This record gives sequence, structure tokens and C-alpha cells, in this order.
Amino acid sequence: MPETTPWALALGQMALLVALGPLVTGLIQKLKARLQCRSGAGLLQPYSDLAKLFRKGSVRADTATSLFGAVPVLVLAATLSAAALVPVVYVAPQGSDGAVVPLGDAILLLGWLALGRFLTAAGALDAGGAFGGMGASREMTVATLVEPVLIVVAFSVAVAAGTTDLAGIVAHHTQGRHIFGAPDLLALFAMLVLLLAETGRIPVDNPDTHLELTMLHEGMLLEHSGPGLGCLVLAHHTKQIVVIALVQALFLPPMASSLSPRALAVAFLGFAGLTVVLALFLALIEASYAKLRFFRLPQFLGIGFVSAFLAAALRLL
Amino acid sequence: MTPELAARLIDAIGAFLLFTMIHILAASQLYRAIYVVAAQSVFIALAGAVLGAATDNLDLWIIAIVTLLVKAILLPWLLFGVVRRIRIHREIVSVIPITVTLAIAGVIVVVAFHLSSSLGSVTQAITGNALPVGISLTLMGVLVMMSRRTALVQMIGLFASENGIFFTAMAVSQGMPLIIEIGVILDVILGALVMGVLVLRVRSSIDSDIADLDRLRG
Repeated sequence: MPETTPWALALGQMALLVALGPLVTGLIQKLKARLQCRSGAGLLQPYSDLAKLFRKGSVRADTATSLFGAVPVLVLAATLSAAALVPVVYVAPQGSDGAVVPLGDAILLLGWLALGRFLTAAGALDAGGAFGGMGASREMTVATLVEPVLIVVAFSVAVAAGTTDLAGIVAHHTQGRHIFGAPDLLALFAMLVLLLAETGRIPVDNPDTHLELTMLHEGMLLEHSGPGLGCLVLAHHTKQIVVIALVQALFLPPMASSLSPRALAVAFLGFAGLTVVLALFLALIEASYAKLRFFRLPQFLGIGFVSAFLAAALRLL
Repeated sequence: MTPELAARLIDAIGAFLLFTMIHILAASQLYRAIYVVAAQSVFIALAGAVLGAATDNLDLWIIAIVTLLVKAILLPWLLFGVVRRIRIHREIVSVIPITVTLAIAGVIVVVAFHLSSSLGSVTQAITGNALPVGISLTLMGVLVMMSRRTALVQMIGLFASENGIFFTAMAVSQGMPLIIEIGVILDVILGALVMGVLVLRVRSSIDSDIADLDRLRG
């Protein structure tokens, strides 16, 4: 294998995730609309929204510092770095020369996501708007509930694979050495609960609202406009598909271990199929549940916490 | 069905049982708790059927079917009837906050694993995690009974606890004899009926729930 190939592969998979991110958002919104007997916007609506945002000029609050202008770019950069760490369709067979993505492991990925979250909140606080402050405070509260559980889930899978490297975990799965048992099921359940929180969807957050006190993510974006807002929205689309890809990498990786076009096509179809299934899950939950009251959230996310804890206990004890 | 496949299936069902149990612990609405405990009973019946298929034991099949009919259909129906009759508000009132209950559940899991490893050489019919899972299910059911104020939810805790005991019995001894299992199920039905009548009577005579009956007056 030539020297440059791993990097090209990592960047290629990252580009794939970024390109497909808005489509997944569009798909979820379309499915949700159909479930609610509306016709809904087209699948490509998020792309149009992004194009519109990047064409616009931007305004800035008088109170904002120079950090405010840098935040969208930094958030997007952090999220893209996270996207580069997830194997999507291809993973090198283990033992050849380590990971195909020689960049970092699951812990670094979660770290990038946390950094993106922190920067978004910092930007919201910097602008000084009341909604932004509220949104940031709530988002950080949710973060303290979500991130430890994500780490526990990642560890419970990593213990079985013997590595925190995502490529190693995937290789462990695809080579059939992994027996899918009770710990995996529980970790998967925990991950599905977290998926709702991480993608900012009902019952944790309502992605459709801009002007309510209940909003978390949208509240933090209120002060941003134009290309800056575009960066943040794109970062959110990307984060969503990164978490979806992470679920697949940890539990059900349909990945190719050779570079033949046929294997890659099969792997891509598997990825697309599982993504549609997860999108349907998100849309179903969103169409059939109401948003939880904020102080009920620890109770809801507690389900994820105990499940993840049980998964780790089953694996370790 | 090979014993190996059966062990893996039982293991997976154990995960589903634990997940439903966490849902019962976290539920803040009565209806949801009842639905979840019904789902849990379906999984218990499935586990019985799997074990029955693996061991060619007709008794286990009968127990699975009786469990399905009684615990997954009859008892939830009874509970819904009581809920409708007394028109209580649907929120579950707990003695300690539900988040604390969930944290205690985490402790229970560790205790259960410690217990089952200190039991040492118990001959397990199913290898793997079935025994600690069964123990933690039972204890979590008791936790539900302890931490909720209303009699109905305590009943749900009782059913969940009974499911846990059933699972433990399967893990240790491939299920109890048919006659004992039938007796247990009859007891559960009787308990549900008595509890239902008690709840209705208490409500109609003093308009409160059993949590308020904590003082003796002479």
C-alpha cells in the first residue's frame, strides 16, 4: 500500500460524511413530516439552506469580541477533525500496519465533539444575548450527563476489542472474532438514548424551534448570521452523521476490508441502509414524543447511564 | 436448538430484561410502567420458550405460554382496569428522586455481580451472565417496591421482581417444576387481585393511597 493512501482514505471518508450530513438531516425531517401526515420539504432542503447562508452577509453584536467571529470556523474544524476519525466504509485488516486512520482513537473523537460543544457555548456566551446564555447553560448541563456515558459505552466496547482505536474495534468486529452478546445490546441501547441527546432531537432538544425558552442548540446559534451560522449549521449536520457513524462503527460495522470497488460498494450500501434505519428511529421518536421538561432530562438520560454502566459491568465483572 | 445458541439467546434476552427494568425504574407515568412490565413478561416467556426448545422440556413450554397469557396479558389488563376505576393522576410519585433510584440501581448491579461470584460453584444451567442478571432484576424490582408511594406501582415492582426470580431459577436449575411455577403464578394473580381490591377500597373509603397510612391511631 503506498504511503499516501491511508491519509487519502481518511480524508475521503471525512469528505463523504460532510457531504452526506445535510442529506441525513433532510431525510430525518422528511420522514418526520411524512409520519405527521405533512408532505414536508424536499430531501435536499438543508443544502439549499446552507447555500443561502453562505451567500449572505453577517452582522455581529456590538458586545461581541473577536472570539465570536472565530467560533463558527473553530467549531466546524473541531467537528471535521472528529469526522476524520470515524471509519465509514473501509478499514484496513488488522495486523497489516495498524490503523488505516493514523490520527486518533475513540477518546480523541469524543474529545473533538466536546471541544466543538464547548466552543459553541463559549461563542453564545460571548455575544451576551439572554437566549444564548440560557442555551449555553442548558447545553453544558446536558453535556455533563451525556459525555461520561459516551465514554463508558466506548470503553465497554473497547474492552472486548482490546483497543480504543476505532479501526481496531471495527476490524475486531469484521473478522468475526466478536460475539455480539448482552453487553453489546445494552451498550447499543445506551447509545440510542445518547443519539437523541447528541443530535439535539426530541425529547432532549427541539430542532424545529427558534423562539422558545426550551431550545438548547438553536439558542446558542441565535446571535450568529450569514456564513458563520452556515458553518455552525454544517457542523451540526456533520456531528449528527458522525454520531450515527460512530454507533455503526462500535456495534454493527458493515465495512470493507479490501479496496476492491465491489467490496466498497457493498460497504457503502450497508452504511447507507443502517443510516436510514437510524434516521427512521430518530424520526419515529421525534414524531411520537413530546419534548421533556428540562429537569426531567437527568431521568431520561439516566436510562442511558445505567444501561452503559450495566454493559461495562457485564463486560468487566 | 444447540445449548450454545440457547445460552447466547438467553444472554441477549437478559439484556432486554435489564433494559426494560431500567425503564420501569425511570418511568414517571403509570401507563408506561405497565406497558414496560408487560413487555418484560413477554421476554421472560421468550426465555422460557428458548430454554424449553433447548432442553426438550415440555414443562418449560407450558410455563412460557402460561407466563405469556397471565403476566403479559391478564395482569396488565387488570392493572389498567384499576387505573381507570380510581382515576388517579398518571404521575408516579416516588419517595426518593427517580435519578437517585437509577444511581442505586447501578450499585445494585455491582452488588449482584459480587454476590453471584461469591456464590462460587453454583451449578449454572446457563453459563454466562444469567445468574447475576437474574439477581439484579430481582433486587431492582424490590427497589421499585421500596421507592414508590402508590400501591399500583409497588405491584408493578412485585411483578418485575417475580420476573427476576423466574429468570434466576432458569439460570440455576433450568426452571422450577411445573407445579411450583403454576403455584407461583396463581399467587401472583391472587396478589394482584387482593392489591387491586385494597387500592379500590382504600380510595373509596379514605380517598388517599396506602403511603398515607403510616400512623396508628388509638
